[in-house]
Amino acid sequence: AMAGVMETEEQARHRFQLELEFVQCLANPNYLNFLAQRGYLREKPFVNYLKYLLYWKEPEYAKFLKYPHCLHMLELLQYEHFRKELVNAQCAKFIDEQQILHWQHYSRKRTRLQQALVEQQQQQPQAPSHGNTTSK
Amino acid sequence: MAAAEKPTKEKLLSTLDDIEVLSRELIEMLALSRTQKLPQPGEDTEQILELLVQRDKEFQELMQTAVEQGRVHQEMQALEKEVEKRDSDIQQLQKQLKEAEHILATAVYQAKEKLKSIDKARKGSISSEEIIKYAHRISASNAVCAPLNWVPGDPRRPYPTDLEMRSGILGNMSNMSTNGVNGHLPGDALAAGRLPDILTPQYPWQSADVSMGILPPHHGNDFGLEPPGHNKENEDDVEAMSTDSSSSSSDSD
Repeated sequence: AMAGVMETEEQARHRFQLELEFVQCLANPNYLNFLAQRGYLREKPFVNYLKYLLYWKEPEYAKFLKYPHCLHMLELLQYEHFRKELVNAQCAKFIDEQQILHWQHYSRKRTRLQQALVEQQQQQPQAPSHGNTTSK
Repeated sequence: MAAAEKPTKEKLLSTLDDIEVLSRELIEMLALSRTQKLPQPGEDTEQILELLVQRDKEFQELMQTAVEQGRVHQEMQALEKEVEKRDSDIQQLQKQLKEAEHILATAVYQAKEKLKSIDKARKGSISSEEIIKYAHRISASNAVCAPLNWVPGDPRRPYPTDLEMRSGILGNMSNMSTNGVNGHLPGDALAAGRLPDILTPQYPWQSADVSMGILPPHHGNDFGLEPPGHNKENEDDVEAMSTDSSSSSSDSD
């Protein structure tokens, strides 16, 4: 339960876990859309809470985040315009798609590099053989 | 020094005029006495001669004065030139001093900026080991970089999915009887969506290393939240999060 001004160390530690989970949930655009549609993003206390959560940007806290995307979302959530837009399902979908594309960016790049390397090695010892080129 | 004194030039000229007049008179008198053969009363001639001598004396004195004055004037000019030279020297030094001051001010300013940025960098310094550890952590779990074999349809995401959210502390909070907020749950949607504990995978995203003793910043409950409000919004969202984002597109109306 929410303590008053004084909280025990155990309560504080529990609150830490809660806030750690919650802030990472913000990385999920569908969840953000969910919150927006239920009006949470319009409530002043909630907005204040989002501002409070910015402490997760500090290195000593950030190192616990498994999903760092949440920090970017948290920063965006500080802006009223963004919070308003999130009510729109299309907006959340767009964010989701872009996020996933971005997430795949390095994998694709690495795959392309590996393929290029493989092609290069195959071409060196023998005459260029077109049959070996893999296409994606 | 009486400024009302007549300038030497004027005095010289007037003296010369006097001499001219006197000599002319004298010559006229002599010429007259010659023609008239009258013994002129010597007093007039003497007078004129005296005056003439006097004027000549004056003239000589004035010439001396003039020479003296000329010398002084020359000295003055020389000194003026000196003063001019010194003035220009001072101006030159002034310019150089100003330049030097400008350069030094710039240097000091840049040095200060550098010190500031050094301070800043030092403040934000993190051991490279920690950074590498963290980088490993977020990449190994595919949180920031998609798994190489990812295809549309794969439920994995760069954010916590429904399943992960439900299995965390937040998801399980509304089931804790101590909260006494179960009555707010419409139906038992949460229980229905919950996996049996034994099958709930332990996702590392929630369990921080508590033994490190890190605590969240104190906020004294000043968000304007009502006591059960904090919990309420959490269990509400977990419970109603019915749409699964396992397919690549998910719509929540």
